[in-house]
Amino acid sequence: MFKNLRIGSSCNSINKRNFSSCLVLKNEVSNSNSLINAGILLSRNPIVTADMNDFEKKYYKYQEELSRRLMWTFPQFFYFRKGTLAERRFLDAQRGPVSKQPGVWFPKGVPDIMHNRERRYKQEIIIPREETSSTSGQEDSNSISRPIQPNSRITKSDELNDFKSLERKLSRTLYLVINTNENNIWKFPSFQLEKDLKPLHIVAEEGLRKLGGDLIKTWTVSNTPTAVLKYSKDKKLIIDTNSNDANNDDETNISREYLIKSHILAGKFQLQPSQNIKEFRWLTKEEIEKLVTPNYFQQIGHLLSNV
Amino acid sequence: MFSMLQRSQVASLVSRGKRTKSKDVVNPATQRIITQLSVLSAARKQPRLLKLCKEDYIKHLVISKAWSLLNKQKQTSQREMLQKQYDSIYKANEDLKKVNKFLFEEANKREQSKRFSLEMRVPTEYPPNKVWYYDYDPNASKNKK
Repeated sequence: MFKNLRIGSSCNSINKRNFSSCLVLKNEVSNSNSLINAGILLSRNPIVTADMNDFEKKYYKYQEELSRRLMWTFPQFFYFRKGTLAERRFLDAQRGPVSKQPGVWFPKGVPDIMHNRERRYKQEIIIPREETSSTSGQEDSNSISRPIQPNSRITKSDELNDFKSLERKLSRTLYLVINTNENNIWKFPSFQLEKDLKPLHIVAEEGLRKLGGDLIKTWTVSNTPTAVLKYSKDKKLIIDTNSNDANNDDETNISREYLIKSHILAGKFQLQPSQNIKEFRWLTKEEIEKLVTPNYFQQIGHLLSNV
Repeated sequence: MFSMLQRSQVASLVSRGKRTKSKDVVNPATQRIITQLSVLSAARKQPRLLKLCKEDYIKHLVISKAWSLLNKQKQTSQREMLQKQYDSIYKANEDLKKVNKFLFEEANKREQSKRFSLEMRVPTEYPPNKVWYYDYDPNASKNKK
């Protein structure tokens, strides 16, 4: 009742004069429902920053060296008061510059020292490590002054090349693609609209939970579809042409798939056995390009992130 | 004898005296301000001016140009991709409008007070100890409330 009312009200806003046309529209809706699908473009956002190429790495190294060379002398007198133990500990740790001596030849140029710094080069500051009482190894792993050891950017799933894991390729955006039993084609999951009409994003979200279980947290970007894919009667993807006139002849038999963008944030994606699906994978843009048909990729490629 | 010894002791005491010259004593608060200001000032803390030879300077210019070109390429490809995405959204919505009015209106409703999810995280240089949170249960948070 409520749904009908909503349909009616939306029709009213479109065509206030003719109410009968609204009823016709409603009938049309129920007939063409089976031809509308809601697809979902489920992505896992990158967990670590993007990988740098060789040029970027070298450029950042160059810039860092430049800025270190141009850096002011470290104001050691500000941090360590004169005559304290802390100052002595700090000074002991420093390598110290070569000072200028009368009557000595310096092959690398005459030293130019101010505030205990060689002004011609970058200043290297060594922070004295606190000496820990050497007892058992366990204590060291819990101590505050232990050295920081970052986790690896390459995970176990990367080494095993496990396509079903969400922990692979941490620096890239991964997308969920499935292989249906029907025609052995890799594509994004899509779900048919039922008779009681629901908005596309709700159909997509509910379908995803039927596909991968309830225990996932997703965040849908928008209610609005990002792209439409048109399939002919024999379930073949129609080549995307900019002119709409070519497809107008058999508009009634075309089935459409509207893609909704969403992110997976937490939870385990487990393929439900009842679904008619062979396999699922989490893939990057390049891997998707290899797997899907060229026509399909031509229509969805711009939706996928390069990072 | 006794008086001699006393006298020598006195002399040694006198000779100790002050070894250093008495400085103008600065108020500790003033000294603190001086230290803080001298941290900020450039005096004696600046490195030598960087003088590049001609070859190095040309190298530097080439590197900077290459970097800006790379950034430009990135920006243009990004802009093209966004334009394509916008076009495909527009096309999808025009199509949806033609096919089904109800779905179109539902898809274009304003989503007020929509927020990014709290579970979203910004990429970091290295992964966290727990890379992915698998034990998510949608009912757990509902029960808590």
